[in-house]
Amino acid sequence: MAAGVAAWLPFARAAAIGWMPVASTPMPIPPQDKRKAQDGLIILNVSGTKFQTWRTTLERYPDTLLGSTERDFFFHEETNEYFFDRDPDIFRHILNFYRTGKLHYPRQECISAYDEELAFFGIIPEIIGDCCYEEYKDRRRENAERLQDDEEMDMSNDVTPVNLTFREYLWRAFENPHTSTLALVFYYVTGFFIAISVMANVVETVPCGTLPNRSKEVSCGDRYALAFFCLDTACVMIFTVEYLLRLIAAPSRCKFMKSVMSVIDVVAIMPYYIGLVMTDNDQVSGAFVTLRVFRVFRIFKFSRHSAGLRILGYTLKSCASELGFLLFSLTMAIIIFATVMFYAEKGSSATKFTSIPAAFWYTIVTMTTLGYGDMVPKTIVGKVFGSICSLSGVLVIALPVPVIVSNFSRIYHQSQRAEKRRAQRASKEAGQALVVKAATPPFESQHHHLLHCLEKTTNHEFVDEQTFQANCMEVSVVNKAGSRSSSLSSSPHGLGSCCSRRHKKKSSFSPPSTNNQELSTIQIRERPVSNSRASLNAKLDETVPLKCDESYITPSMVSLSAPVVTSADEDASTTTAYSQSNIVRVSAL
Amino acid sequence: MESKRVETVSARVDAAAAVSSTDSVEDELELSAVRHRPEGLEQLEAQTRFSRKELQILYRGFKNECPSGVVNEDTFKDIYAQFFPQGDASTYAHFLFNAFDTDHNGSVSFEDFVMGLSILLRGTVQEKLIWAFNLYDINKDGYITKEEMLDIMKAIYDMMGKCTYPVLKEETPRQHVEVFFQKMDKNKDGVVTIDEFIDCCQNDENIMRSMHLFENVL
Repeated sequence: MAAGVAAWLPFARAAAIGWMPVASTPMPIPPQDKRKAQDGLIILNVSGTKFQTWRTTLERYPDTLLGSTERDFFFHEETNEYFFDRDPDIFRHILNFYRTGKLHYPRQECISAYDEELAFFGIIPEIIGDCCYEEYKDRRRENAERLQDDEEMDMSNDVTPVNLTFREYLWRAFENPHTSTLALVFYYVTGFFIAISVMANVVETVPCGTLPNRSKEVSCGDRYALAFFCLDTACVMIFTVEYLLRLIAAPSRCKFMKSVMSVIDVVAIMPYYIGLVMTDNDQVSGAFVTLRVFRVFRIFKFSRHSAGLRILGYTLKSCASELGFLLFSLTMAIIIFATVMFYAEKGSSATKFTSIPAAFWYTIVTMTTLGYGDMVPKTIVGKVFGSICSLSGVLVIALPVPVIVSNFSRIYHQSQRAEKRRAQRASKEAGQALVVKAATPPFESQHHHLLHCLEKTTNHEFVDEQTFQANCMEVSVVNKAGSRSSSLSSSPHGLGSCCSRRHKKKSSFSPPSTNNQELSTIQIRERPVSNSRASLNAKLDETVPLKCDESYITPSMVSLSAPVVTSADEDASTTTAYSQSNIVRVSAL
Repeated sequence: MESKRVETVSARVDAAAAVSSTDSVEDELELSAVRHRPEGLEQLEAQTRFSRKELQILYRGFKNECPSGVVNEDTFKDIYAQFFPQGDASTYAHFLFNAFDTDHNGSVSFEDFVMGLSILLRGTVQEKLIWAFNLYDINKDGYITKEEMLDIMKAIYDMMGKCTYPVLKEETPRQHVEVFFQKMDKNKDGVVTIDEFIDCCQNDENIMRSMHLFENVL
């Protein structure tokens, strides 16, 4: 409950006089306010800056330093004030928390200094208000990352921990090459060989002059076949060894084999082995040649070495829908214009526009403003439509591209922010569970007394959800068997925090004359049908609506303070109101 | 010339009045923009039975929750509902609000608040009973009918909420009203007048005792 509303409790209690004339049972005694809170001013001297506030303001949060007796340690006798040798600027915010119930984080303060002050004064950071919470968490995360980076740098200079298994060591070497020199060497060697392999693939197609006994020009690959073959073998061996080592070192082999990088590795080295297997078969040599194309995929292995490539791949993946739209709209335009050009050029002789698919090429070349000139319209109609095609091509391509660019930046930033907020919310909810409750003890007992008065007025009791369900269940069970049991005891646990204390207080209030036996064992009992409520219960058996759906039987302990007396028309009022109370309490444990 | 100016001014005032009376949202804004200052401390001290210090404490709490100086019905319902988390206190809060808002202007100022509290906490038993009668008499005609009592009773039972032991049934408030009328309505004419009410309450020990229950609340 908010601290401010606690100030209205006297009003709520006074208004309870409205229930008195209609109450059917006598009211409980109000709790004694033993500790009459002296409402004086407290002077807090924080490094020379004097703050003053009411004593009751500080005592709203008894779990903190200022609200508890812990502040007595800082009491300065000579000046009759509390002296704290801390930062007054940050203290201002802490004091505001007591006043308003909301903790704010000042942007210009250092996050670690602020955290230290909060820890000193015993305030949990999770109660920072929503207005400042995001900022606080961001700064905290940045700070944590900075600390972690520093740690990592330190760690990399340290001797590697010996207790890693060889497999973990290997994986760590592969993933973070800068951790050890061997890993670094391996990293650079593989990079070098990827480059060599790609260059070899490129160079072996270059024409290299003629052989002495041939007239035709041969490519370098054919001329120095053996050299290239040896180079290729060496590269593939290195790649194979690397792949196998990664496979061994991977913590989860299935996950590793499904990852993109491993697929690229496999695709890069497969052609060589397939080529080894099927050597001189002419039928499949065509396919074999095609396979060599896949060797170019080795260039993608560079993405392990370059973070930028990885980011590019990720962004393309995330922009897939926009790219798809671009492709779709282009396709539509291509088909339209190709059709038009085909029919426009159909009349002219020796036209290159032999079919609509043939016209696709012209449309694409024109729309992207390439204009090779291998296919040109000859008729006037064709030229008109050709020009329209090129103009619209500029528009069609220019329009979606900024959308894609902005979408990309939006998606990128959004995913960053969503990640942030998701992480923050999880930790915030965890922290809210520990939130400091701002209720002073006298407030609690007075509030419970008020609720008890309401119970007396209406002759019904508050129970919590679980016991309510249990009641529904037991009523249907008790319908048949209405046995009565002697006094048992209860220790209510399943009640909410608001009422739990109340029930505890009740059991402490019950005078020793009533025989309340404390049972320590948990027993399943049929609920006793009390005497005084016979009239109510008679109706209860018939018409109680079963609001609960689930059918479970919870073990429960029932308390019945004997003797069982009639409540409503009792004239002989005994000493305390409680002894007459016919409280049957059912609680689920 | 002057008459023209007066005319324009009056037209503007009329327009402003018309605007402010029609739009309820604007009314709310006006209410929140109003900075109501209570009468002086001496005057309140004279009119109520609270000491100076008590008035100070009351005002600090009041102003904390309602910085504008007045409580409107919604805020009142919110505040009262916080004390009864398990049930629905809005109907009873509505009746309470009407009982506190003695001048029926839709808002409870600090004076109204303190006057009501003065009767409830420091008044004689007679005054408290008259206040309770006023609360039950919803239409303030001097008689409590069965329907009025039923409304009040339902409001009280609403505050209990759903999860009670024993389970609340539909006719429980009605039965309670029957019991109340049997006790209070001496001449069986179907309504309870203030004299019947006060007589009956003064003869009931429980009620008399409970009237003194909250005397040292502040």
